[in-house]
Amino acid sequence: MSEARQQIALVDVNCFYASAERAFDPSLEGKPLVVLSNNDGCAVTRSPEAKALGISTGEPWFKIAPRAKEWGLVARSSNYELYGDISARVMELLGRYSAWLEVYSIDEAFLGIKGSPDQVVGLGRTIRTAVQRNVGMPVCVGIAATKTLAKLANRWAKNNPALGGVCRWESMDPESRELLMARLPVSEVWGVAGRLERRLNAMGICSILELSRADPVMVRDRFSVVLMRTVLELRGTPCLPLEEERVGRDQLIFSRSFSTPLTSVPEFRQVLSVYAQQASARLARHHLQAKVLTAFAGTSHYNPKDKSFPSVCVPLPMPTSDPVLLTRAAHALLPAIQDGVKYARAGIMVTDLRPSGNQQPLEPFTNPHEERGIGPLVEQISRKYGRSTIGLGFAGLRSGLDWSMKRGMRSPRYTTHWDELPVARAN
Amino acid sequence: MGVIIGPRVIEAGLSLRLVLISPVAVAAGFPSPAQDYFDGRIDLNEHLIKDITSTYIVRVSGDSMEQAGISDGDELIVNRALEPRDGSVVVAVLDGELTVKRLKITAAGVVLQAANPLYPDISVPALADLTIWGVATRCLHHV
Repeated sequence: MSEARQQIALVDVNCFYASAERAFDPSLEGKPLVVLSNNDGCAVTRSPEAKALGISTGEPWFKIAPRAKEWGLVARSSNYELYGDISARVMELLGRYSAWLEVYSIDEAFLGIKGSPDQVVGLGRTIRTAVQRNVGMPVCVGIAATKTLAKLANRWAKNNPALGGVCRWESMDPESRELLMARLPVSEVWGVAGRLERRLNAMGICSILELSRADPVMVRDRFSVVLMRTVLELRGTPCLPLEEERVGRDQLIFSRSFSTPLTSVPEFRQVLSVYAQQASARLARHHLQAKVLTAFAGTSHYNPKDKSFPSVCVPLPMPTSDPVLLTRAAHALLPAIQDGVKYARAGIMVTDLRPSGNQQPLEPFTNPHEERGIGPLVEQISRKYGRSTIGLGFAGLRSGLDWSMKRGMRSPRYTTHWDELPVARAN
Repeated sequence: MGVIIGPRVIEAGLSLRLVLISPVAVAAGFPSPAQDYFDGRIDLNEHLIKDITSTYIVRVSGDSMEQAGISDGDELIVNRALEPRDGSVVVAVLDGELTVKRLKITAAGVVLQAANPLYPDISVPALADLTIWGVATRCLHHV
């Protein structure tokens, strides 16, 4: 094996949302901290101190809240503007260390790196120091010949402070690697979960080690090519190339929980209109058109009576990003809404997306609204004068609609708003 | 305003570049003799921010740095990546809060000083005993 062979590093921020909160509010250091999901529903990120209290991911806030005071637990609402900016800083910095960067999620990225084992581990340490220094985010780096193994190495680096946050899979001795793979269930492998895990278990494949030793051809025939690639990747054969940018996003979802439940059709008409317009704006910005719209609503899982989960799937007359057509399609959900039932969430999803302008429809099928350019006009005005300055009919213009998200414990948007800057005391 | 979130790539350690701005208005129809020299307007981001990934803006609260030209309500441009030196104005973490002080590094030890004798010095044996959040590079002073 050539020493300068391509290696893959997975860089991932530890407890990202909690770390972002702490970077600007040092008083949170050392305290148990949870960051809550949209609408302050449940804990999505826990600091190590909060994990030590036994709080699990996804635990509903109303169950944790009564004991928060006694534990000294601090909760924060999601501050997506802050996390987005911090993420962009981390990714830009990572891009300086490799021309080959695949941003995988808000807090993790794969980097293509080259060099001797010592060099790549050294680079991993340099990256870790730089992200901590420049952005104040703690990261762990997993390095391996394949993405799947880089994920495992990253996990190992996280769980073993002695490694100093950097682990190169191939530098571990073979016995330790086998021991680790034998201890971890298949569900810990990137891309294996749920039903797939149960099917593998039924065949006696329970640990990652057993999966890596499975016959790739059998795996392909009984499961899929995707899982066969995972098996090969676990054996050190790269099958998942780095993607510079994921193309072909195949769906956009606009969905939220409500701070106070929705109970009537007129309220739903308004909410669905807002989502349809958001979808229209997003589609236009990405030069996409949708062919299918799905609208859905649901009651709370914590509310055992009045269960209702209506949804409709509406094929659009032509690929479109027109707000009028999307709004009309979303309103197809209205007849399915039961008056008086307390709905906790609603949303729309547009799918079957394609680049706009690829295919000019025949004249009889052109859409009069699109011809008049209403969508682009609305988008232009909102961009210039801000969201909530113009909207279509039912969505209205009132700011702070009473169904909008509850974010009572949000920290300031320190890096994106002049009036919310961090304060440095001089007294 | 998106001073620090603009999607510009500014190389670490980029030095200030002199920029020519379009000098005069020219009658329509004529190619401007200056246009070959026009290289974009003066850009404050470029001037004030050396590294977009490590630069943050904080607001000053209090008058203890008044005599260093930093007033209550001013904005400080802070670079987290800079090495704090003797004489640097730093944002340090004290009792869980961000605090502006001047850093003094001497053979006898390290001191965080306010620019106002009414505020006591904070002395520690070594720099490692402090948490320096970042080094202030500019003050956006309200005149």
